[in-house]
Amino acid sequence: MYKILSIKISLALFLVLFSGSSITHENIKHNIDASSGDKCVEPTDVMRAQHHIFINHQSHETVVNGIRTKKYSLNNCINCHIKPLADGSYPSVKTEEHFCSACHIAAAVKVECFDCHASKPYKKVAKKNIEDSSK
Amino acid sequence: MKKYKIKLDRRNFLKSSGMLGMSSLAPGVFFQELAQARPLNEPASSKNRWGLLIDANQCSEDCNACVTACNEEHGIEDFGRPTTDTQYIRKLNLTHEDSGESLTIPMMCQHCENPPCVDVCPTGASFIRADGIVLVNKHTCIGCRYCMMSCPYKARSFIHENLENQVPHTPRGKGCVESCNLCVHKVDKGENTTACAEACNKDGHQAILFGDLNDPESEISKKLNKYKTTEVRSDLGLNTAVRYRGI
Amino acid sequence: MRDKTDYIIIEFSKAIFIYGLVAVSFIGLGFYSFVTLEHEGHWLTGMNNQIVWGLPHVFAIFLIIAASGVLNIASISSVFNIKIYKPLGRLSALLAISLLTGGLIVLVLDLGRPDRLIVAMTTFNFKSIFAWNVFLYSGFMAVVALYLWMMFEARYNKFVGKVGTFAFAWRVTLTTGTGSIFAFLVAKEAYNGALLAPLFIALSLLVGTAFFYKILFWMDRGLGIPLGSEIIKRFRKLLIYFIFTVFYITILSHLTNLYVTKNHGYEFFLLFSGNIYTFLFWGCQMIIGTLFPLLILYNKKLSKSASGLLYASILVLFGGFSMLYVIIISGQAFPLDLFPGYIERSSFFDGVEATYVPSIYEFMLGLGGVGIAAAIYLFAIMVLDFTPRSLDNAATAMANVPEPVTEEKLEEEKESQKEVVGEKSSIPPDQKTTEELETDEKNKSADEGKPAEE
Repeated sequence: MYKILSIKISLALFLVLFSGSSITHENIKHNIDASSGDKCVEPTDVMRAQHHIFINHQSHETVVNGIRTKKYSLNNCINCHIKPLADGSYPSVKTEEHFCSACHIAAAVKVECFDCHASKPYKKVAKKNIEDSSK
Repeated sequence: MKKYKIKLDRRNFLKSSGMLGMSSLAPGVFFQELAQARPLNEPASSKNRWGLLIDANQCSEDCNACVTACNEEHGIEDFGRPTTDTQYIRKLNLTHEDSGESLTIPMMCQHCENPPCVDVCPTGASFIRADGIVLVNKHTCIGCRYCMMSCPYKARSFIHENLENQVPHTPRGKGCVESCNLCVHKVDKGENTTACAEACNKDGHQAILFGDLNDPESEISKKLNKYKTTEVRSDLGLNTAVRYRGI
Repeated sequence: MRDKTDYIIIEFSKAIFIYGLVAVSFIGLGFYSFVTLEHEGHWLTGMNNQIVWGLPHVFAIFLIIAASGVLNIASISSVFNIKIYKPLGRLSALLAISLLTGGLIVLVLDLGRPDRLIVAMTTFNFKSIFAWNVFLYSGFMAVVALYLWMMFEARYNKFVGKVGTFAFAWRVTLTTGTGSIFAFLVAKEAYNGALLAPLFIALSLLVGTAFFYKILFWMDRGLGIPLGSEIIKRFRKLLIYFIFTVFYITILSHLTNLYVTKNHGYEFFLLFSGNIYTFLFWGCQMIIGTLFPLLILYNKKLSKSASGLLYASILVLFGGFSMLYVIIISGQAFPLDLFPGYIERSSFFDGVEATYVPSIYEFMLGLGGVGIAAAIYLFAIMVLDFTPRSLDNAATAMANVPEPVTEEKLEEEKESQKEVVGEKSSIPPDQKTTEELETDEKNKSADEGKPAEE
């Protein structure tokens, strides 16, 4: 009997702790560069659930086979989703202002991508640097 | 023996490309189209073998353009710690022990056909692409540095510190091994050159020539056919894709 | 054959406390070093793009080699059937497991991406010696665990010989694998040769024996497990054999290199050029690690005393460590010759001897591995009866009385086991110090309190 009770309690605990009511996607303020288009490469709910699968698959295709299609490429993600802040600089991936970090920090899921990959749109950053230096 | 190996590679490659969603392409089409720029959605093919021909006679000792261009292209930072800083390409100055004859050449990953780094890598992160480019898959590199032990050319560097502001086409980060990737992002886009070769041409030395060793019509193949060229440590039988002239 | 040794569980004591404290603080240092390196990157170490494997690898390989070496003591008893070593079988297997764990942890924590260990355990390139070693190491753990089970479970004692033979074969393969990490590198002149595999095997036997003796000595002084002169005599002989084997293969490998002209450069670099490796080779490996122990082992007085043999063992361990340092580091420090006949210069240290100064982090990481090995050992002897009650001459002789065993007899023995336990101690009381007596008393009462598990 205690067994069933303990299962019930742990189930309830699990639901309370992991229902994620505090971290639903809607609660997080996003910062998307709308000028690059109004929708992602897949419907939003698909992207929410499966973006890592697309990115992982694409990473293998690119590194091993040299396939560099734009859809699903991480650079493509970054170019659209990372928008400059008020002062014109791009947010660091360590802060919640970064599109990826907004969710990942809240959900405490570590993103490995940016250990190696650029977390800011490169060409725009480079352009801005040139503008800055010319000023 | 060598021929057998090439065949084997191609077969494996066909198998893997079949698995990886190439089914939408008509068979045959895929291999005919490879002559020049490859479409972005097609995998690298063993029909090509990319390589470099480096002419020591044209290379100048006081010129460092290839090294600078490489560092800029791949976003390689200088931490001011020469023993641990990454170098994809370096200028090597040679002086003959007896005659005093001196030469200077750029040295980098030689993109062997039978790379020792690929043999020793426990996870298969160090691999040779179908078109002969030797790369490190940084998604599976565990940073054991065995490949660095095994490389006869000292071509590899280990990333000793946290990096930020990497360039998008050359992802690199702490704890992985890296080396010259023959500007694989340029090759995939069909630019048919590398940063070092571009810089060398721009400086007017024309000492570095990029091309397809498997295409008899390419400039590099014609030159290899015409002049005597050398593989570094040819005694190891690795069949390098980087060849030198005038050493 | 039924193991008739009387084994005990070690009680918590001052010696255990001190060594436990040392082990825990070593683990703390190692953990601190790991966290720092993982956070900051490897530039904090002395390792660089020239010397890619440094002190942590010397520690790791030393521990791994010692692990396969200590198992040798169990092998001698169960494979070669020399019965005096039988009471040491359990300890031998335990030490093998703990040392291997310590060594592997150092190796893993020094990786650039230790968080990707799972990749290393799931993705294999079977042409890589490292990938083989993953199987050799984990298999070794499993085989030794099975071996221990056979030794512990009285019903399975009869399989000890077979499992022991298998474990012996496995450990030879394992050390061959460790040696081959270096032996199969075509790039480096210093490593080029399959002779490294037998050299590593010989070194493992030597280091393992010395390490085992050090533990036996500590058990005698710290835990009150008397060590008899018979065992000391045997270990002296083993040490002598193995020192000469290592010496022989070392000489042979250098002679081979000296005969091959293209390897003269490396030999000169190592043997005569007067750098740190020359010093370590001649001073630490040859004189301190080979000559001095031999002088002790052939000294009439010292060779018979327990502490004399301890000094020899410590010197041997020091020499073995130096030898690994010389092999691993000097082979990388010696410049590659890309263009024979030319002097090479570049900003990437071509053509010059690479410098390596180990940092404190590497040393702490290595100590962490030693600490983990020690902690596993100390914990295990306190929960299971690994330790023989006595290793004095009477006890080792008694454990080895040959006796045909039948099924009925086994059953009988099981029954009588409960009474016999605790009374077997064959040490005359007058030979003991009061402290030893006290621990004995404790053990007895502890044993009597619990019924023997069968």
